[in-house]
Amino acid sequence: MHFDGGLKLSIAQHSSAGQKTVNEDSLGIRVPDDEQLTTKGAVAVIADGVSAAEAGKEAAETCVTGFLSDYFSTPDSWSVKRSAQQVLNALNRWLYGQGQHYLQAEKGYVSTLSIAIFKSQTAHLFHVGDSRVYRLRDGFLEQLTRDHAMPIGRGQSYLTRAMGLDINLDVDYRAVDVAVGDIFLLSTDGIHDVLNSSRIQALISSYGDDLHAAGQCLLDEALAAGSDDNLSCQLLRVDALPLEDAGDVYRKLTALSFPPPLSAGMVLDGLVIECEIHASPRSQLYKVFDATADRHYVMKTPSANFNDDPAYIERFILESWIGRRIQSDYVIDVIEPPQAPSYLYYLSAYSPGVTLGQWMLKNPKPATQSMLDIIVPVAKGLQTMHRRDTFHQDVKPDNILVGDDGSIKIIDFGSCYVAGLAEIAVPIERDKVLGTAQYSAPEHVLGRRPSGKADQFSLAVIVFEMLTGQQPYQGRLQNCTTTVAFSRLEYVSACHYNPHVPLWLDAALSRALSISPELRYSDVSEFVYDLEHPNQEFMKNEFQPLLTRNPLRTWQGISLFLFVCLLWSLLR
Amino acid sequence: MSSSTLNVLDLKQDKIRLLHLSWFAFFLTFVVWFNFAPMLSSIKEAFDLSNQQVKALMILNVALTIPARVIVGMLVDRFGPRIVFSALLILGGLVCVAFAMANSYEMIALLRFLMGFIGAGFVIGIRLVGEWFPARQVGLAEGVYGGWGNFGSAAAAMTLPTLALYFGGDDGWRYAIAATGVMAFAYGFVFYWRARNTPKGSTYFKPKKSGGLVVSSKRDLVFYIAMCVPMYLALAVLTWKLSPVNLGLLSETASIALYVVLAVLFVVQVSQILRVNSDVLNNVAIPPMQQYKFKQVAILNVAYFVTFGSELAVVSMLPLFFMDTFTLSAVEAGLLASGFAFMNLAARPGGGYLSDKFGRRKSLSILVAGLAVGYMVLSQIESAWPVWLAVVATMCCSFFVQAGEGAVFAIVPLVKRSMTGQIAGMTGAYGNVGAVIFLTVLSFVSNADFFMVIAACAAVVFAAVQFLEEPQGHTAELNDDGSVALIEVS
Repeated sequence: MHFDGGLKLSIAQHSSAGQKTVNEDSLGIRVPDDEQLTTKGAVAVIADGVSAAEAGKEAAETCVTGFLSDYFSTPDSWSVKRSAQQVLNALNRWLYGQGQHYLQAEKGYVSTLSIAIFKSQTAHLFHVGDSRVYRLRDGFLEQLTRDHAMPIGRGQSYLTRAMGLDINLDVDYRAVDVAVGDIFLLSTDGIHDVLNSSRIQALISSYGDDLHAAGQCLLDEALAAGSDDNLSCQLLRVDALPLEDAGDVYRKLTALSFPPPLSAGMVLDGLVIECEIHASPRSQLYKVFDATADRHYVMKTPSANFNDDPAYIERFILESWIGRRIQSDYVIDVIEPPQAPSYLYYLSAYSPGVTLGQWMLKNPKPATQSMLDIIVPVAKGLQTMHRRDTFHQDVKPDNILVGDDGSIKIIDFGSCYVAGLAEIAVPIERDKVLGTAQYSAPEHVLGRRPSGKADQFSLAVIVFEMLTGQQPYQGRLQNCTTTVAFSRLEYVSACHYNPHVPLWLDAALSRALSISPELRYSDVSEFVYDLEHPNQEFMKNEFQPLLTRNPLRTWQGISLFLFVCLLWSLLR
Repeated sequence: MSSSTLNVLDLKQDKIRLLHLSWFAFFLTFVVWFNFAPMLSSIKEAFDLSNQQVKALMILNVALTIPARVIVGMLVDRFGPRIVFSALLILGGLVCVAFAMANSYEMIALLRFLMGFIGAGFVIGIRLVGEWFPARQVGLAEGVYGGWGNFGSAAAAMTLPTLALYFGGDDGWRYAIAATGVMAFAYGFVFYWRARNTPKGSTYFKPKKSGGLVVSSKRDLVFYIAMCVPMYLALAVLTWKLSPVNLGLLSETASIALYVVLAVLFVVQVSQILRVNSDVLNNVAIPPMQQYKFKQVAILNVAYFVTFGSELAVVSMLPLFFMDTFTLSAVEAGLLASGFAFMNLAARPGGGYLSDKFGRRKSLSILVAGLAVGYMVLSQIESAWPVWLAVVATMCCSFFVQAGEGAVFAIVPLVKRSMTGQIAGMTGAYGNVGAVIFLTVLSFVSNADFFMVIAACAAVVFAAVQFLEEPQGHTAELNDDGSVALIEVS
């Protein structure tokens, strides 16, 4: 990908049992040499098994090996924070479970853990216990973590937080910026309990570029200073950061040029163009035929309108990247091209059918069940995406395919927000707000933090439109661009347009269509459940006085009555 | 289904309907903008004007358009094309009706000046059409929009004298002009009712960056700022023309105030240009992908200066010219003069086609050379000529003029895709600068010399066009077996 490579680290790590017989420290570094360096980053882990515990050594080893392997197995689209959190949770539960048969928790599988993950231009730190992470920048050493330990006199202390100590785990998380030349030090208490910061700073600085010698010296000095614990340290120096040169990124983005306007009969990389399916100012879709595999695909090509817009090109490249990482029956499959592409395009599966937009024209106000037959699969597809920290952000009828065989597919990842990619900084200005005015959630238009609730809102707009043939909020959504404008919107019940819509269904809709995301369902699945099953809570207020149901008619009626009275009194 | 051809009769398609809505809106702005040209003889009589005063009116009509293009561009960014175009038509219609009811020279001068604003309608539609059509159709769609819309001035010249006669009396011209204003006013509402900023379910209307062009080198920066000077110069010339030194329509203090305003505006624009170009000033390297030569923009500007500028000027003066030279009635003169703008229907899209087909520089060179010769011929027209020959001469000349406009706008999107809007805006403004300058020249010299001056300018522009570089980029060609091969064009 265009943001691959660039991050270069020099590393050194040392560990010794010191005066003890066993070394209960454990440590490991993994710097992937493939795309994962960009998407997941480089990881350094240090763990200090608690010596009071029976299985401290095992706990520390499990933490290090477990984290290093499991972290890199999490989806590429997850953010560092989410990936690490999931892995740490699982590790902690396992350690806690293993320690269950000890009477006291601190006797079981207990270990400290400090992790530094270098991704793009940020170091993400995760920390629990009394091991430490330092950063040496411009000759000054700064401690980036706070010890979770309580002193109990005579130089002794006990850990207030550690892996395996409790079923619930609080891990300190911190993201710090990284600059070329920074040295990160991860150490266990065998070193930093006897050597103070200024001593460590002086020692590392005195060795200059030789990280190995510096690490060895830290161990030797700590031992000489009377450390009676295991001694371990890791040193990582940042030699180069990715993507600092805009020209480099531009060059990578434009490595493949845009395909020319294609017409039926042309052959591109062995694919025969059969016809143009759709063309918009942003892109073109063609139906193509792969003779070798005897299959049809859809080819999406970028529009020449954007051939010098790096933000657009980046989005286009990412579309296929995202598509390949979402495996769901309800999301369109992105196909690997049969040959290495010589132009910028991507292929997806071809399924004959119509878009939901076209379907809705042919099937105005469908029965609730036919609506659910379409909406439930879409919701499942969205859930799959959300589980991958990927938010579609442009859910609209034209982005949902209703196949001739009844299959439902979500298409178009052009506006997706992917947490794991958003963390990767690039020196180009990215487009912030994409999507479609009529279907976008207010918080999306206002540029707030992306979440799955925006997709839930858009889905609810579609349901509303299917049931009533009208846009919710009297179609005024698309004109709103400010908080004030949104707060002025008033929800008009779907029952008002279509009396066949049950009250409880409208209640579910109005909740999913809340302007404030906090008032919506916490997940798309809950919304869909309420669409399928009458929610008892919504049934309570079945009777509403006429005044609330139709205030206009009520006042018109009263006025008419008064008018008649007036006439009567005048004519009497 | 869509392809590179455009079926303008396929009204089932939303975008085709929008295209018709937009070109007609643009057409009406042109009708309103040039409704006074065929009526000038009546206006001259009604207010007992001197030749100088009539020529001042012509200049006033095109002056405000220069800054209005910028303002309208910003309004479109803020509010979207639909509401801005509607507002322009409605307000323009009102001003036009007021013009029809004016009863002093000061009033018609002021109202004519204000009506220059409606000439900025072009910018709005270009943006709107760009939002609706895919890349391979947009050139053709904008050709239709521009060509058919520009035809408005011909339509005005053809119909208004007859309309004035139909209403009859001394005030016939007032009713005719008011009628166009009422039409624009009414259509403003129709446009708001039917048109939409983007296709349904499409992404947001995306504002383009405004503030100024981003150039690629310090030399280009100086060049760019230098190219901004003529726009202010044109307005300064107009102020001078109206000042006590010349026509005396403005007071001494008013004209000095105007000079100051122009100077301040220029300083503001330069500071804005410097702000958006801070990277160039601070020697930050510009990625090759984002580099382009400003020279290209400048050449297109001067080419449009001589093509569209001369068209606006000639359209303003031609009916009166025919009347005076051949002693015709207003109806006949208007009808014959409309021949000039009539060519728009085919010539403008035709120029784009030629440019695509035979190379950019070559076609633009030939067209500019053609219009130089054409204006030279026009300068020879005298009362001894048969009228039909004069009409044929104007139509031939106008073919080169309008095909030249089409050729310029066929190149504009190729200079720098992401800044097409701004380059088009600047090029368009230069067209108006041309109109102001040529009409000012007309107020000093005879009609024959006026045509000669345009011809001379065209000759200079012809030389400039020789420095135009064929736009670079990847174009693809078909191999014999039908597969696409990448060919680097240089």
